[in-house]
Amino acid sequence: MLPNKTSLAPPGIAGELPAQRLRTTRPSAAALSVLALAAGLYLILPLVLERHAVDLLVFCGLYAIAGAGVGFLLGQGGIVNLGQAAFYGIGGYASAYCSARLGWPTPAGIAIGIALSLAIAALIGRPILRLSGYFLALATLALGIICTNIYFEADFITGGTLGVPGVPKLAIGGFVFDTPEKFYYLVWPIAFATILAMHNLMGSRVGLALQAMRDAPDAAMVMAIDNARLKLWIFMLSSGLGALSGSLFAHYVGFVNVDSFGVDKSIMFLLVPVIGGASVPAGAIIGALFIGLVPELLSALGDIHRVLFGLALVASVVFFPDGLWGLGRSLTGLVRRRSGAAARGETTP
Amino acid sequence: MNLAPRSAASAPDAPLLELKAIAHRFGGFQVLHDVSFAAPAVGITGLMGPNGSGKTTLFNIISGFLTPTSGAVLFDGRDIRAENVRRRSLDGLVRTFQTPKIFERLTVAENVMVGAFKAGRSGFFAGLAGLPSARREMTDMRARAYETAQRFDLGAVFDRPSPLLTAGQRRLLELARAYQGRPRLLMLDEPSSGLTTTEIEVLITKLKLLAEEGIAVLLVSHDMELMGVAQAIHVLNFGRIIASGTMAEVQEDAAVREAYLGV
Repeated sequence: MLPNKTSLAPPGIAGELPAQRLRTTRPSAAALSVLALAAGLYLILPLVLERHAVDLLVFCGLYAIAGAGVGFLLGQGGIVNLGQAAFYGIGGYASAYCSARLGWPTPAGIAIGIALSLAIAALIGRPILRLSGYFLALATLALGIICTNIYFEADFITGGTLGVPGVPKLAIGGFVFDTPEKFYYLVWPIAFATILAMHNLMGSRVGLALQAMRDAPDAAMVMAIDNARLKLWIFMLSSGLGALSGSLFAHYVGFVNVDSFGVDKSIMFLLVPVIGGASVPAGAIIGALFIGLVPELLSALGDIHRVLFGLALVASVVFFPDGLWGLGRSLTGLVRRRSGAAARGETTP
Repeated sequence: MNLAPRSAASAPDAPLLELKAIAHRFGGFQVLHDVSFAAPAVGITGLMGPNGSGKTTLFNIISGFLTPTSGAVLFDGRDIRAENVRRRSLDGLVRTFQTPKIFERLTVAENVMVGAFKAGRSGFFAGLAGLPSARREMTDMRARAYETAQRFDLGAVFDRPSPLLTAGQRRLLELARAYQGRPRLLMLDEPSSGLTTTEIEVLITKLKLLAEEGIAVLLVSHDMELMGVAQAIHVLNFGRIIASGTMAEVQEDAAVREAYLGV
């Protein structure tokens, strides 16, 4: 059988001019139907799942928001952030203090948490983002540890180990998010909007500059890219998302204490993109679902579940270096190549 | 093609780049001694010298990666020692690297597009919001990048991931990317290293093309064949300029012959 000539021609020779085509190509009909299916599934899930499962999915959504920030730093900026729990804590305590102690409306606490996080990220980011690689990772780890200690000591705000109880439910314009179901319909759209915004950024001039900086910082400087400023911006973006997630957490659970904002939480937020895949922002969603659901699924097996979760983590990092997203992409690529070969009448091995 | 902006103030024969008594020391080791030369706003200027003669150090000083221990760097008559790499790039001083620094996780198209970053406008928030203006800008950048890619024989590999390129194509990609940054002075660090003879010939034609467009080129190399395109050559040895002139003059120079051939 003769090979199909047009499909073998390099792009730009057959059909449209490559100059008019961006890498963000239009989604195919198959991709759209998968997306519609996922959206339908998302909408009906709380109706069919038991409350405990919806509760778990709310936590997954919170992890996705904070983890997306860390993932963007990792995948697009090449920055390992081991301090996200610091900003998660700032959001959590700002919301708890403003709404439970001061009696302010809940959106005010969220706004203050985000503003405070952005300010602190801007101040701390300037000196530490000059570092790179392991040194920067260690600096962010130190930031996380210092903040945990501050949360412990500053008990007039944080309540120390006792924490802040009685954080009111989130209320926006008279609507109170007082059930896991309602929160589910709030948290996930925020997560999706976050991913969409990051995806937009990657496809823009600044996103391109960011990826250039990650791949070859010297060459990026020669192209007049302000590396320091770009790093600061994405660090602030990540910190703001951490605070937002922490605020939502405080209102959802109704109680915060220092245990929720430790280094283990920072590591978890870093694992979200590492497991899900950092090359695309959407990897954070997959990673968050993994982190939030797999321990629960394994817990049916008894005490061994912690070991199994650890093994699952190691396995996913070793075997799927680009995360579960990368795995999915290479699998669909494989299927596509095979079906393409089949369509050309070749036998599949 | 829209050319780089030209300063009306500079006289036609005034040098675009001027180095005055540059000296540089790494710790106790003096790498450059009293280096002075100029590159005109038109044509190709060569900087030649054996390995370890200080060429790359000088290059880093001109492009802003290093601050000289003493001496002045004048660009368009202005002392630019206080300016960082980015600022110098905005002035029109664009360089390449001895080992091509390609953005490895981007396609050829995207690599060239990054070259035009400084001409773009849309910012961080426009990008996050996915504003139509930001999207349009990318489409325009891509169209212009395609024109440039074709000029540098990269049209057929435009959408390929950059790691799939050959050594020669990587050099051309770096050149295309630099060209996209609208340089007034294009500085090329050993652009022929690792290339085959045929690839070097292609490189030479591209360099001549750039020069014809009015872009001044400063070429660092120890490749005699490539150096043939330069109108004026300065030879560096042990951190000093030992000879200056045309290729023929420099080749006849006794000091140069000794540095290169040891005779």
